[in-house]
Amino acid sequence: MAIAKAERLMNLALCLLGTRRPLSKRELRESIEAYLEAASDDAFNRMFERDKDDLRELGLVIETVENLEGEVGYLARRDSNRLPAITLDAEEAAALGLAAKVWQQARLAGAASGALQKLRAAGLPEDVDPYGAHSALEPRIPVHEAAFEPLMLACRDRRPVVFDYRKATAAQPEPRHVEPWALECWRGHWYLAGWDRDRGAERVFRLSRITGKVRSRGTRYTAPVPDVVTVRETVASWAGESADRSARIRLRTDAGYPLRAKATSVRELGGGWEELEIPYGHGLDAWLVEFGADVVVLEPAELRADVVDRLRAVAKG
Amino acid sequence: MAGKPVRPVNAIDQTRRMLSLVTYLRERPGARIEDVARAFGITEDELVSDLDVLPMCGTSFRGGDLLDIDTDGERIWWHNPAALGAEAAEPLRLAADEATALLVAARAVATLPGLRESDRQALLRATAKVETAAGEAAGASARLSVTFESEGGVFADVDRAIAERRRLWIRYYSPARDELSEREIDPIRLVSVGHTYVEAWCRRSEARRTFRLDRVAEIKILDEPSAPPEVELRDLSEGLVQPAAEDPQVVVEVGPGGRWVAEYYPHDSADELPDGGLRITLRTPDPASLKRLALRLGRDGRIVAPDDLVDSARRAAREALAAYDGTGTAG
Repeated sequence: MAIAKAERLMNLALCLLGTRRPLSKRELRESIEAYLEAASDDAFNRMFERDKDDLRELGLVIETVENLEGEVGYLARRDSNRLPAITLDAEEAAALGLAAKVWQQARLAGAASGALQKLRAAGLPEDVDPYGAHSALEPRIPVHEAAFEPLMLACRDRRPVVFDYRKATAAQPEPRHVEPWALECWRGHWYLAGWDRDRGAERVFRLSRITGKVRSRGTRYTAPVPDVVTVRETVASWAGESADRSARIRLRTDAGYPLRAKATSVRELGGGWEELEIPYGHGLDAWLVEFGADVVVLEPAELRADVVDRLRAVAKG
Repeated sequence: MAGKPVRPVNAIDQTRRMLSLVTYLRERPGARIEDVARAFGITEDELVSDLDVLPMCGTSFRGGDLLDIDTDGERIWWHNPAALGAEAAEPLRLAADEATALLVAARAVATLPGLRESDRQALLRATAKVETAAGEAAGASARLSVTFESEGGVFADVDRAIAERRRLWIRYYSPARDELSEREIDPIRLVSVGHTYVEAWCRRSEARRTFRLDRVAEIKILDEPSAPPEVELRDLSEGLVQPAAEDPQVVVEVGPGGRWVAEYYPHDSADELPDGGLRITLRTPDPASLKRLALRLGRDGRIVAPDDLVDSARRAAREALAAYDGTGTAG
C-alpha cells in the first residue's frame, strides 16, 4: 500500500527541522521510506518538489544551501521557524476560539484551526470555553463561490488573473484581465477589487458572476496597488444606498414598513394614506413596484415613468 | 507556482496538526485522548488516525529514532520524547494562510455591533498579539475582509435575553406579506451569515423560526423566562432557507437582467435559455410570497407557474396602474 502523504510530509518536516546541517536530496531520499519506494528518480524529484511546496504553504521556512562540492542541501532552521513568544489569557483564548470557527471554506477553516493548534501547542489556555459547542452566537463566513480560493491565492501572491465575467445584465460572459487587490464579503456575498487591464481602471467584481475557471497569468502588476481598497462603498452604490436625490410617494397607512423606516418625512393624508419623502438612489423603481397598489409615486416624473413602465410589463404578463 | 492544481486539504491539514501535536504531547505525558481532541478541535477518531501515523515518523535520517507514541485508547504515551530534540519540538510560526484565516475572522467578529464589550476587548487584544507573533505572515490578511451586518440595539437585547434566559416580544416585518406582526419568542441563538438572525421558538406559531435582526421593528425583553423546547440545532452552513421536498414548486423565467434571482433564491435548478436568460425552478412553502418578486422583475422576467401566482401578480400590477390612470402616464 502506498505510504500516506501526511506521513511523508511529516517525515520530511521532522528531518528538515531536526538537522543542524543542510541535508542533500540524496540523504533525504535514503532517510524517508516513501521516497525510497519512489518508482524512479523522476517520480522522486516530482514528489520532493511538491512536498517542499506543501510544507512552505504550512509556513515552514526551508532554506536551500549549496555546499563546497556544489551539492544542494535543505534545512529548516529553528530560529526562522519558531513561533515568537505569545501569551494569551483565557478570555482572549476563548475569543480566538470563536473566531477560528467562522470560516465555511475548507482551506481557510483548515488554516484557522491550524493557527489555533499552533497556539495551543504554544500554551494557549484551553479550560475556558464560554461559547461551547452550542454557542448562543454563531457568526459564519459563507463562501459558496468557486472563484474564491484561486482569487484569494492570487491576491495573496499578487498574481494577475483572467476570468470570464458576466455583468449583471449581460447575456454572455466576457473575459476580464485583472490585477487582484482584495476580496471583501458583504451581506454574505464576495467581491473582488482590482485593476482591470482592459479598461485601464479600478473595478469591483461580484464573485458569483464569474463563470468558469480563474486562470493565473505569470506576469507582474502594471498598476500600483492602493494602500486602502474600498469595496463596500462601490457595492453599496450598486445597491442604491448612496442616494443623492429624494422622491415623494403616497403609501397606504398599514403597508411598507421599510419605506417608512427610511423616510425623511411622513405626512398624514387621510383616507388611509400617507405622503413620504424617501431617498432616491439606484434601484428604487424596482423596489417600489414590489409594494403594488400600496405605493403611488408622486415625483420625480422620471421615477414615476419607470415604475409605470415596470408595472405595465407585469400587467401584460 | 502559477496554475498549481488545487489539492485536497486533508493531508496538509493533518500534517499541520501533527506538527503541533508533537509539541503539545511532549509537554503532557499521559494526556487523555478526550482532552487532546477537544484542545485541537478535532474528533477523537481524527486524533486516533494521527496517532496511527506518528509512530511512522521521526527524524529518521541516519538511524534516528521513530516516534514511539502509543495509546491505550484513553491516554497517550510517548516513550521516547528525546527522539525529537528539544528544539525540534518547539511551536512553529504561523503560515500566511493561517494568520490570514484567524485574523480576518477575528476582525470580522469584532465588527458585530452587539458583541459584548468585554468580549470585543478580549478579541481585539488577542488580534493584536497574534498580529505581532505572526510578523510578516500577517501582511496578506489585509487582502481579505468580512463585514457582518447587524442591528446593534436589537442584537444586544437578543444577546442579553439569551444570557438571562428570558422571553422576547418583537414587532417583526415580513417582506412576503408586507406587514408587521407582534410575537413572543424564546431565543435560542444568534447566527451571522452576511446578515444576523436570531433562531428562536416562536410562541405564536409554536414552531422554530428564524428572524432577521434588521427586520425587527421593535423589541422588548419580557420578565417571563424563556423556555424553548429542546430542539436539535440545524447545521446552517447550507443556508438559512432550507425548502422542504413537499413545498410547492415555482418556475420563473428571467432574461439576462433577471439572472440575479438565481443568486438570491435557493433553487432546485437554473437552466440556461437561448437569450442569455435562465429558467429557474424553486420551492417555497408559500408561493404567494413570491408576488413581490414577480412585480419586481418587470420586463426582466416572469413567473411561469403556478397559475394562481401568475394571475395574482398580473392583477396586482393592474391595480397599481389604476392609480396612475388619467394623469397622462397610463394608457
